[in-house]
Amino acid sequence: MLISKALNIGSGSTWPGHIALNINANFIVNILNKNKNLKVILIAGTNGKTTTSKLIKTILEQNGKKVFHNEAGANLLNGIASSLIKNSDLIGEIKFDYAIFEVDENSLPLLLNSLKPKALVLLNLFRDQLDRYGEVNLVADKWRNSLGEIDAKTSLILNADDPKIAYFGQGIKNTVKYFGARGNKLQNHDHASDSTYCPKCGSKLKYESVTFSHLGDWSCDNCRLKRPKPDLESYASYPLPGLYNKYNVHAAVLAARSLGVLNEKINKAIKEFKPAFGRQEVVKFNNKNIQIFLSKNPASFNQSLETITELKARNVLLVLNDRIPDGRDVSWIWDVDFEDYLKGFKSVSISGDRAYDMALRIQYAIQNYNSKVKIYENLKTAVDKSAENLSNNETLHILPTYSAMLGLRKILTGKSIL
Amino acid sequence: MKNSQSSAVNSEYSLKIGWLYPGLMSTYGDRGNIIVLAKRCEWRNINTEVIKLNEGFVVKKLEELDILFMGGAEDVQQQIVARDFRAEKIKALKSKIEDGTPGLYICGALQFLGKFYKDADGTEIKGLGIFDLYTEHPGEGSKRLIGNIAVKTNLAGLEHATYETGKDIVIGFENHGGRTRLGKDLKPFAQVVKGFGNNGEDKTEGAIYKNSIGTYLHGPILPKNPEIADWLIEKALEKKYKKKINLEKLDDLLSQKAKESILSKIT
Repeated sequence: MLISKALNIGSGSTWPGHIALNINANFIVNILNKNKNLKVILIAGTNGKTTTSKLIKTILEQNGKKVFHNEAGANLLNGIASSLIKNSDLIGEIKFDYAIFEVDENSLPLLLNSLKPKALVLLNLFRDQLDRYGEVNLVADKWRNSLGEIDAKTSLILNADDPKIAYFGQGIKNTVKYFGARGNKLQNHDHASDSTYCPKCGSKLKYESVTFSHLGDWSCDNCRLKRPKPDLESYASYPLPGLYNKYNVHAAVLAARSLGVLNEKINKAIKEFKPAFGRQEVVKFNNKNIQIFLSKNPASFNQSLETITELKARNVLLVLNDRIPDGRDVSWIWDVDFEDYLKGFKSVSISGDRAYDMALRIQYAIQNYNSKVKIYENLKTAVDKSAENLSNNETLHILPTYSAMLGLRKILTGKSIL
Repeated sequence: MKNSQSSAVNSEYSLKIGWLYPGLMSTYGDRGNIIVLAKRCEWRNINTEVIKLNEGFVVKKLEELDILFMGGAEDVQQQIVARDFRAEKIKALKSKIEDGTPGLYICGALQFLGKFYKDADGTEIKGLGIFDLYTEHPGEGSKRLIGNIAVKTNLAGLEHATYETGKDIVIGFENHGGRTRLGKDLKPFAQVVKGFGNNGEDKTEGAIYKNSIGTYLHGPILPKNPEIADWLIEKALEKKYKKKINLEKLDDLLSQKAKESILSKIT
């Protein structure tokens, strides 16, 4: 502990945590035992972790609490350990009221083993990086096993619209609150749908309505399992566009309520909320507007495309990388419904490590490929040129994978995040 | 690229592409293979219809199909498919394959066509027994075979792309726990250049039987290796119209670039 704090390796790095865990595998448990007043909130799920964490942090701070959050996607055990080190003093004391940890799918069971969170928010389970996380069903099974031993005082905030997540609430003794969203009765499932089978008996589920992907008002004709009635499915205002952000807001509001925050404080905080980098934040670059929508798997990519279409986007830059945080396998781009969304666009620019894979996907998705699409191997050039080609009042919408978003941040703000 | 707006209505040729269990056996980008087959027909004015065969489909539907496709799946989904594949369906699929109907079977589908799959805890799941192969998972904790893969294909009569780099190389991404072993008369689809292939040991990849290709290559396989898509289309036309039909060349510069960029990374 002392050593790693004293080493003072750059803030945001996961190395201090890595070193601490190497020296003492129980590091996280020990430091939390030492700081009994620190309340821990865990956020897990494929999409929406960072935005939901940031929403809860904003609400709690509005309520006068001192809060820290493992920022910048440092969501493995070493990232969480690092975040604890960064926010403690030299004798290991943490002078905060709350720690909010967004947790990677595989790390959640390990963490639930070693700590007693005040609240646990489970957002959704989509197909994401099969090469890293394995199959969606396996992740759900692991989560289910670890929830069996969860502290009885932990409040659970679960997505009613995601069958696998909602099913975690069945037969559990903890307080459970469910969030949902209002879907469209006529909508078909996106191609990328995952859990359209009953989490209990395996029969095909019936949907009364769908919001997106496999989320909606579901029920099983065979075993009668159905979507639990949501405690919250709409809210007065939303700080961010996109249906997926409604879920994030509903989850954050329920989490805040379970921690005893008053509704008026929650309202105020939501109104003042500023998004995290790469989550719809508008950036000025060479006097042009750029808006970034992190798009890291089929469900999040479809939602980004849906949202920018609603925002009347005309120019888009797609950036596809295949580094470790993105997943090495880029097959998933063929599960994204580009065919439905890109028709009305004036220009489609493409960059990233796997720019040609993305270009190939678009070639098979749209007409007039040659007149609309430009490929830039270099990301900086892609941003410069795509921004330069905008008419004055147009916005460039950028849809990057995770590591590509970090690259963009460096280009757009001069700062890097880890 | 040929002008894709041209109408295919008055085409003299037409093909029906059957997609087996699109809801269940479509794990990671498998749809790309269907998109590529359908588009490459459309760009050449070949009428296509993609017919989705979901759980509970009528056996008779198999008869009219000219190209078959089946993707990979998670274990749970694969069990649902196994339940749906009753004796008469196995018989119908087997006769299509024996009859030379071209088909592409990816990952889980390749395993499924074999004799059996022994999973991580030793449970044996019966396969369709159409391909002389079997698959065994070496057990919990053993290494999954994951990564970009380059193979040299054995496909006879494959019109290779006109470009030089990686002329007969097929590129993809593999991700499987099971190790597949081929019977002595079954030919592999390809030889491994870089990556694992069927079992990570004998350098074989996939299997080819009559005009059916089984392979572990995701990616999906067809966009970056369009010559295989064209091979399937040509075989289907030849079978249906009983004459050799030469396909018009398309501009495949992008697939070439995509292929080269991965080749330069892994070899």
